[in-house]
Amino acid sequence: MALTNQKQVEELADKISECADSIHVRLMKSIKNKEIDQYTAQSIFQDEATLRQRANSLYIDAANCVVEGLSESQKSIMDLIDTAKDKIRTIKKIAGFMDFIADLLVLVAAAYAAKPAPILAALEEIKKDVETLSKD
Amino acid sequence: MKIRRIASVLLLIFIVAGCANLKAVRDYASESAKLSAYTELTTRFRDTYEREQPYLFGEADRLAQDNDKRRKAAYEDLMKIHQRVSLYMQTLATMAGESAFDLSKEVDSLAGGIKAYPDFGINSKHVDAVSGIAKVVAKWITSAYQERALRDMVKEGNEPLQTTLQGMASLVRCYKKTNENERKTVLGFFDVEIPFADTAKDKLLKVLARAHAQSKTAEYKNVELKYDEAEKGIKSIADGHKKLLENIDKLSSEEVKAMISNFAKDIKTIRENLQKIRS
Repeated sequence: MALTNQKQVEELADKISECADSIHVRLMKSIKNKEIDQYTAQSIFQDEATLRQRANSLYIDAANCVVEGLSESQKSIMDLIDTAKDKIRTIKKIAGFMDFIADLLVLVAAAYAAKPAPILAALEEIKKDVETLSKD
Repeated sequence: MKIRRIASVLLLIFIVAGCANLKAVRDYASESAKLSAYTELTTRFRDTYEREQPYLFGEADRLAQDNDKRRKAAYEDLMKIHQRVSLYMQTLATMAGESAFDLSKEVDSLAGGIKAYPDFGINSKHVDAVSGIAKVVAKWITSAYQERALRDMVKEGNEPLQTTLQGMASLVRCYKKTNENERKTVLGFFDVEIPFADTAKDKLLKVLARAHAQSKTAEYKNVELKYDEAEKGIKSIADGHKKLLENIDKLSSEEVKAMISNFAKDIKTIRENLQKIRS
């Protein structure tokens, strides 16, 4: 069968399911009106169930089409997750730069008691340094 | 005393400017991660044959066995879709997390280190004050980084995520339709057979059949609710992410926070509903 996309496959399966529904309605009417015997009823119901299996088979095809169609998006998502993890890791590396800030902190702490201006300058330095870091 | 005042003013500024508060995003992402890890309907799809087998004969049974093999073969790939969406959302939640980019522990140990050297002649009170500032500075800087990282992820992630979620919705639709055919096969069998069990001798059989059909009817009715909830859930996750993208530069706005929080709440409710429905 030359049905390639999921929508076409699904629509065909829907049609087949609807046929099975119609058969069932007609069958129940015949049973109610005592038009048919049990054996005939069973054999018609058997055909109905067979049609439903055919439809279900197409729903599997449709699901497989979906899976195939998603392979590219799935790959993008996986790539993106990896990038995100890298970013989280990168910031953890920045934790290493805290050593550098430590030096500044000592300076600041030492200067603290005496002069406010150097402290503000040092803070300004920290701000600039880490701003540069976070751009990476 | 003046410096202390300046420091506290600085502190305040940094707190206001730096506090990204991504709680709403985090809630949305972690609820979405939990909901997309809900795989009951996928597993139910795989196990279709087990349930319908007693009602199948001849050609229908032969086809059903074939379908059973094919569903089992597809199962792994179907589960992967759940896993990936869930993993994406978990990562998003981590990115929006308080601890993902938090350096305050480093600052604390740093302050501890400095205090451990009394030779420096640094008053420990001063160290506390300065490390407090450093924490805020670090938070301010990392939160800028965090927001940028989050923005990148949401921007780049939206398209593949939306496509994947559309795919998931199509899958749920296929599961639902498969389930409908199963229901009609099972209940149809009773429809057809019960009217023929009309002799006095068949009375017990007829009662048992009717009781069984009744419980099966209830089972299918409950399951159908699950498909509907799952469809709603996928839509909420998709809409939430779309809104997140649209407002990615306004994440601090109360309005946006409230909107994203509402998505998180809706998704949580859907998950709870799914758990409540008896199968």
